[in-house]
Amino acid sequence: MTGDSAAGIEISQLRRLEIASIAEAATLLLLVGLAVPLKHLGGWDTGVRVMGPVHGLAFVCYIWLAVQTVAGGGWSRRETIRLFLAAFVPLAGFFNLPFLNRKRLALRARGMAG
Amino acid sequence: MSLADFYPWLKALHVAAALVFTGGVLGVSMTLLAMPGSADGALSFARAIHRWDRAVTTPAMLFVFAFGLALATAGHLFADRWLQAKLIFVLLLSIVHGLQSGRLRRLAGGAAAGRWRAVPVILACLLAIVVLAVVKP
Repeated sequence: MTGDSAAGIEISQLRRLEIASIAEAATLLLLVGLAVPLKHLGGWDTGVRVMGPVHGLAFVCYIWLAVQTVAGGGWSRRETIRLFLAAFVPLAGFFNLPFLNRKRLALRARGMAG
Repeated sequence: MSLADFYPWLKALHVAAALVFTGGVLGVSMTLLAMPGSADGALSFARAIHRWDRAVTTPAMLFVFAFGLALATAGHLFADRWLQAKLIFVLLLSIVHGLQSGRLRRLAGGAAAGRWRAVPVILACLLAIVVLAVVKP
């Protein structure tokens, strides 16, 4: 299904970006929603010391994948800005998903027609 | 047994991963230079390079980062100016790799990649990174 065709390659790329988007948003949620309250209310700071770097890594991975995705072409300026802004707005990574899904479906339709 | 005990090994693995990563980045650069137009007959070559890029070069970049972070943590190096400067060039090189990979993906899909002149930037970054790491000014 996703083989070496142009659409297949792009679809795999979008899937990777989706996973990174979820990871970025989820790790932020765990950090701010769970680890930080546990530190300030319960005095337990291990969560923050682990989730902090983990979220940092997820954030960097997402940004890098976004650069790599946009460099492949087919993204308008508005879509590009949206992709990068999603990394800086909390939970926007989750809202990225329908947008990326639409892109993927459009590619699949184009791939089947082409 | 702390992280610092493994310092020589961390450094060796960091350099090895950096060499693999650098080779990959320069390889893609040369591919894009040689094939800016739509790669008809060379499609299988472009796809092979793309697969290598995804399977080897990008993981090598992750390993360079991982071992580099371990080294900096073990040696308490984050406060050093030379490392801070080196990280800027590392960031630039990583972004160039990301941009190149994207263009390569276009090529592997059968489209034209367009003109790409990254080699001078790549070489300048590599020189700066190695000078900073070895000389530590």
